[in-house]
Amino acid sequence: MNDLSVRRFYGWFTALGLLVGVLVVVGYYRDEYREWKEYQRKFIQEEIRRASTPQQRALAESTPVQIRQILLTDLNRVDRCTTCHLAVEDPSYGGYPQPLAYHPLHEQHPFERFGCTICHRGQGRATTVADAHGNVPHWDQPMLPLQYIQASCGQCHEAADNPAAPELARGQQVFEDSGCRGCHKLNGVGGVIGPELDKVGARRSPEWLKKHFLAPASVTPGSAMPPQIFSETNLEAIILFMLSQTGESAPGYYASMRVIPSASEGQRLFQQKGCIGCHSIGDQGGKVGPALDDVGLRRPPEWMMQHFRDPQTVSPGTVMPRFGFTETEARALTDFLVHLRDQKVALSLPSLMSPVERGREVFRKYGCAGCHGADAKGGVPNPNAKTAEQVPGLIYVADGYTKDELKKRILNGQREITALDPKRPPPPLFMAAWAGIIKDSELDDLVAYLFSLKPKEENPGF
Amino acid sequence: MNAPLPKRIWQWFTRTRVGRSIFRVGLPESNLERSQAMVSSFLLHVQPAKVNRHSLRASYSLGLGLISLYLFLILIVTGVLLMFYYVPSTEKAYDIMKDLQYVVSAGLVIRNMHRWAAHLMVLFVLLHLCRVFYTGAYKRPREFNWVIGVGLFLLTLGLSFTGYLLPWDQLAFWAITVGTNIAGYAPVIGLKLKYLLLGENVVGQEALTRFYALHVIVLPAVALLMVAVHLWRVRKDGGLSRPDEPGDIVQQVELKQLPTNKSYGLMELARGTTPQVGQNPEDEVFSWPHLVFRELLLFLLVTAVVLFLAIFWNAPLEELANPIHPPNPAKAPWYFLGLQELVSYSAFWGGVVVPGLLVTALMLLPYMDRQRKGVGRWFARERAVANTIFTVCLVTAIVLTIIGTLFRGPNWGWVVPWEQPPTITEGH
Repeated sequence: MNDLSVRRFYGWFTALGLLVGVLVVVGYYRDEYREWKEYQRKFIQEEIRRASTPQQRALAESTPVQIRQILLTDLNRVDRCTTCHLAVEDPSYGGYPQPLAYHPLHEQHPFERFGCTICHRGQGRATTVADAHGNVPHWDQPMLPLQYIQASCGQCHEAADNPAAPELARGQQVFEDSGCRGCHKLNGVGGVIGPELDKVGARRSPEWLKKHFLAPASVTPGSAMPPQIFSETNLEAIILFMLSQTGESAPGYYASMRVIPSASEGQRLFQQKGCIGCHSIGDQGGKVGPALDDVGLRRPPEWMMQHFRDPQTVSPGTVMPRFGFTETEARALTDFLVHLRDQKVALSLPSLMSPVERGREVFRKYGCAGCHGADAKGGVPNPNAKTAEQVPGLIYVADGYTKDELKKRILNGQREITALDPKRPPPPLFMAAWAGIIKDSELDDLVAYLFSLKPKEENPGF
Repeated sequence: MNAPLPKRIWQWFTRTRVGRSIFRVGLPESNLERSQAMVSSFLLHVQPAKVNRHSLRASYSLGLGLISLYLFLILIVTGVLLMFYYVPSTEKAYDIMKDLQYVVSAGLVIRNMHRWAAHLMVLFVLLHLCRVFYTGAYKRPREFNWVIGVGLFLLTLGLSFTGYLLPWDQLAFWAITVGTNIAGYAPVIGLKLKYLLLGENVVGQEALTRFYALHVIVLPAVALLMVAVHLWRVRKDGGLSRPDEPGDIVQQVELKQLPTNKSYGLMELARGTTPQVGQNPEDEVFSWPHLVFRELLLFLLVTAVVLFLAIFWNAPLEELANPIHPPNPAKAPWYFLGLQELVSYSAFWGGVVVPGLLVTALMLLPYMDRQRKGVGRWFARERAVANTIFTVCLVTAIVLTIIGTLFRGPNWGWVVPWEQPPTITEGH
């Protein structure tokens, strides 16, 4: 073996050296070619085409091709969507096809504070179309279909307060009316048979939710939940409401923006602050201060705003204390009073209602209708339950129970439901124990309501 | 002169003042210079000036140890590059993985290289271990180098395992959860050991900090030191094993035998096997160029393979780690899946006794199997018993790993990889 014997490797050496070189070049180009650069170049070309003066043209031509991103430290997000969607803030791009379309209606949610993904979801850090839009493996937050976009409003804002999100408000209405809380807990209120829904919107897709409502067992084998019957509109609305429950909690600046001054927020404040102690609406309430039914006729909104800020400045000598309302709260209360003037709505303040009326609200609040049917008339299927394979209605409870027995029954529940046929699977639905969830006063009202359900004309003694 | 241009440039450079100050010996032209080139270079001097022909035969060593070393070097270089970006924080680590992919120049390729080189290193260290076994190369005088080698194999697993957690995705989180649970099955010290590794009872920020420190400084430093010792011992134990080497270490020079009326040079006092022992000049060739050239070629090949894998296949990255949503099944890294499969039968026997015995047996092997026949040949007939026992263990480990990797589905139930497993939607 001499020096020459290694010459037979020269070919290999050259080939492998070239191969490494080629691979480095290929790797470099694959790394250097990024699809967002193509979109940026198209945008720059469009800017050049639209330039009308040499200065504009020079500006357009000097636009660098680079990653654009919105850093949202408080939200722990980095949104690079504007790397491709370059014209979101430029109204002159209205009507352009994506990715260059203008984004209307962002005045209240400026991009530099909110970014994009907090509402639209998707993967903000990604810089390819597929990955950024998020319909890729191992990313569980794909972009929210536009038809459900109002769900994002509900992450921060009360559904009912948001005039811009009527579908969200409808979804919440459907949720409460359908008695979902009978089994599911949401924001701390509800039953324990089904899972909590606090973060369901972040975990579940619209498709999954749709299947879940129409045929629960098809997505959750063995689910006790009866299939739900919704109109198409209500189905979409409740899906949207579910999608809004993401558990996203935005701190600081964002938290301060949550409350939308609205009539319903004003009504909540009105109840919470005890205004009814001095003022009356519809002849109900205190007589110390003036009645408020028609205050909207007598005073302009500006006067009312000032009144909430500091009563003495507009009504010298008034006994009304200064409550220290925030501007948002003052705006909400004013809206409420204006709303009273326009709508002439009768207030339903719990302190002014009868126990039976309050009990009906309790029945609704805890979603009893989800199992016991609307107005407690029954009819919800519970396969293999001895009670005609249904959850029993409650209109005759006054015949079978004393008030104390009924209370005990509600508090303790009944885990084992007697089966019609012991060989078949046991009935999926059961009576949950409400002890620790329902308040004592609510329980009193609920029992009063349930006792009031017995039809009057029938003879109790037969 | 007809030499190719790069060679002429090189020759010119090594003759300049600067070139000579760096390289001392230029491109060797004579046998003397070939020796000097090896001895005067820091990087080359760990190797002898002349090397036995047998050691150069690719069919004998398969270059497996060298490939492992190259992979280790690639891992160090790419690892340092990754460290420029990485922050061992549960809040940030996953986002940084995404940034590497989407905005860092070559970030994805570097991460891919690191990942694939890490997997390959586990594989090639194991193959190297098998080669040394099947050629009986662990026998006297190389017993202790085998023990160091087994230690390096365990270190490689440790390096790979600690690195597995760092992306902080579901794959990382649950693999480490499963892996450290296996450690917890050890009697008496198991739970303490698990706690020591994790810094708390579950995988969290404490675990990430510890795994990071182990991964980027503790284990690499120890591994680097042990690699140095390993290579040093290869040289000191007489180079690669071969069939015709002398049967025993040359007798040591006893100090008292030496006349006392003169002073001694270091070489006269050095004891034990030296590179020259048992070497017949006829069987020797100069390391430069025969050994160096082959090593360079292999380095190019390893680099090309790792680059190729890294360019065309991305390292996995699943969802952000979520401690309340375990995947079903949660699997350890592939090289521990045989262990996980064993654990599924019995946590104590599979997770503690069997692997403990295996490692102990591997460590003690050269001291138990002391017969010197069949060294330096693959599958020597004289070693049939040892080879059979080893092969049975190896095949069992491979079969268990394959079962754990491909044939285990939800709840560690049996699945067939080419059939779609039943869709499991976790009950809410």
